Amino acid sequence: MATETLPVSRSRLRAVRRARLGPLSALSHLALLVWTVLVVVPIIWTFLASVKSEDEIFGGAWSLPATLRWDNYARAWDQANIGQYMLNSVIVVGFGVLGTMLLGSMAAYVLSRYTFRGGRALYLLFVSGLAFPVYLALTPLFFVVQNMGTLPVIGPFIGLNTYAGLVLVYIAYSLPFTVFFLAAFFRTLPQAVAEAAFVDGASHTRVFFQIMLPMARPGMVSITVFNILGQWNQYQIPLVLLAGDKDKWVITQGIAEISTAAGYNSDWAALFAALSMAILPMLVVYTVFQRQIQAGLTAGALK
Amino acid sequence: MAGVLYEEATRVYPGSDRPAVDALDLDVHDGEFLVLVGPSGCGKSTSLRMLAGLERVDGGRIAIGDRDVTHLPPRDRDIAMVFQNYALYPHMSVADNMGFALRVMKAPREEIARRVREAARLLDLEEFLDRKPKALSGGQRQRVAMGRAIVREPKVFLMDEPLSNLDAKLRVQTRTQIAALQRRLGVTTVYVTHDQVEAMTMGDRVAVLKDGVLQQVDTPLHLYQHPANVFVADFIGSPSMNLAEYPVVADEAVLGELRVPLSRETLKALQDEGGDRVILGFRPEAVEVVGEGEPAGFPVTVTVVEELGSDAFLYGQYADTADPARLAQTVIARVDPADPPAKGERVRLRIQPGKERLFSAVTGRRLPT
Repeated sequence: MATETLPVSRSRLRAVRRARLGPLSALSHLALLVWTVLVVVPIIWTFLASVKSEDEIFGGAWSLPATLRWDNYARAWDQANIGQYMLNSVIVVGFGVLGTMLLGSMAAYVLSRYTFRGGRALYLLFVSGLAFPVYLALTPLFFVVQNMGTLPVIGPFIGLNTYAGLVLVYIAYSLPFTVFFLAAFFRTLPQAVAEAAFVDGASHTRVFFQIMLPMARPGMVSITVFNILGQWNQYQIPLVLLAGDKDKWVITQGIAEISTAAGYNSDWAALFAALSMAILPMLVVYTVFQRQIQAGLTAGALK
Repeated sequence: MAGVLYEEATRVYPGSDRPAVDALDLDVHDGEFLVLVGPSGCGKSTSLRMLAGLERVDGGRIAIGDRDVTHLPPRDRDIAMVFQNYALYPHMSVADNMGFALRVMKAPREEIARRVREAARLLDLEEFLDRKPKALSGGQRQRVAMGRAIVREPKVFLMDEPLSNLDAKLRVQTRTQIAALQRRLGVTTVYVTHDQVEAMTMGDRVAVLKDGVLQQVDTPLHLYQHPANVFVADFIGSPSMNLAEYPVVADEAVLGELRVPLSRETLKALQDEGGDRVILGFRPEAVEVVGEGEPAGFPVTVTVVEELGSDAFLYGQYADTADPARLAQTVIARVDPADPPAKGERVRLRIQPGKERLFSAVTGRRLPT
């Protein structure tokens, strides 16, 4: 009896599942599919082009290479100096993200969990930074950083053409969204846990670093990855602030240099190789933290 | 070890005219289990949080032992608190949760391990020490929260409705465990609950609050038998006391055809406040079913009978009146569970002599008898 009824119930189950996948759901799946293609195809194209010869690149976008030309990568690394630029990017983004997360999480925590005079105004000031296009500030920013360079003692370290100067600008640039996002995240955390820690004898600093920050981990991971991506892909700001010292250039400048240096005789294959090398670390970062990023973005909705 | 003293402790929330806790005077003795009870919004949790240092004290003072802690931060008060939703640190193991306070105090590692193990043994948590709170059941989490408090060896335990997230059966079990544990450790405990059964079964003394004002503080039995006012009479006891207002004619309260004679002291108190009405209350178990001819009784039509096995309660309507206000009242009486009356039946009830409680219709306070 049981074995006879099983196929029936199974097919019914399938029907139920199909019914659940109604017209709206089908439409959204289609939209997701289109979106996936839009995102994935250029990346595949880039990787494909990075192992082709120049002729093959201009021969056809989807033609497969005769042999895998890894020497494109070698040329990009050595001649176009991508290795150095990548290291510069890692240094600047590393310190930039570290500073952003430290200051951003502390600011967001205080703004979201303590009430004090002007707290709301301060929060809004941070958030209003979101609405401000950084390009409008590029020229004044140049002069600000130039002036920072004239400060006594610390000036030479934070002026134009310095890592630290660029790091400080990155931090300022990233703080509005970081504070906005993390403040919302801290607000969803239960107040009682912090109170329990206070009763257990912890200071405000300890409560923040040992209790609240670990609890905000999903949000911290999401926004950290977001900031890494944003700062890694930054082009205009370093272009303006590092113009005078080619040794300190970041990866985006290095890639742009390949295409502009030789006019129409650029080494396109090396350009794509460099581009691939720039994309790869970001893909790795995203893949590793994918689950936590999703958890962070949906944490508020789930609780 | 130390007692707790509230002296006119007051808390007014910003933007509110009415104090959440209004001049609370309360003396919790060393080693005592005191329960703060009241309906939601009565200020019981606020009172506890003031003692914890999580809520500002706007007036008066609070002392733990001989030390004035009114304006000290929580960490300088040497207290431990159990929260309603436990507030365990989600990213730490059970052992780390329990040892956190000791780590903050920079206690030696071996001592932390020893005290955590002891508390875990006491609470039957030994096998869970390495687990995260997420992997525990509600009852286990509750025990971890208790363990975190015990490990501290604090001067005072504060408990804010620690059982309200447990299911009914576990709640009854844990209730007795907590009470027994407290007796064993002998640590002064202030316990907040909205459940009067919890209050009655656990507390050495019970403090009843309403609208931020302390109504009465006494032993559970005394509270039950001698409520200080109508609110306490109504709040304590389940099913609650039968309470209604009656006119006083000559020197008797008139309950339909039943007359309840009032003592000289009662009448004098009534006269002093100029009232000609009195609130009379009687517990369901202070009533007995009598024969039709009994002159001191009153007739009741049975509307519902609750049979609990060990007890049976009759809910009825006065049958000797056409007064709509009196018809709207429900009389609750405990009856013989072996022989309960049927629904719709008419029975005659009698209040056992001396078991009625009299309150002023003006102030709600108990009148002398």
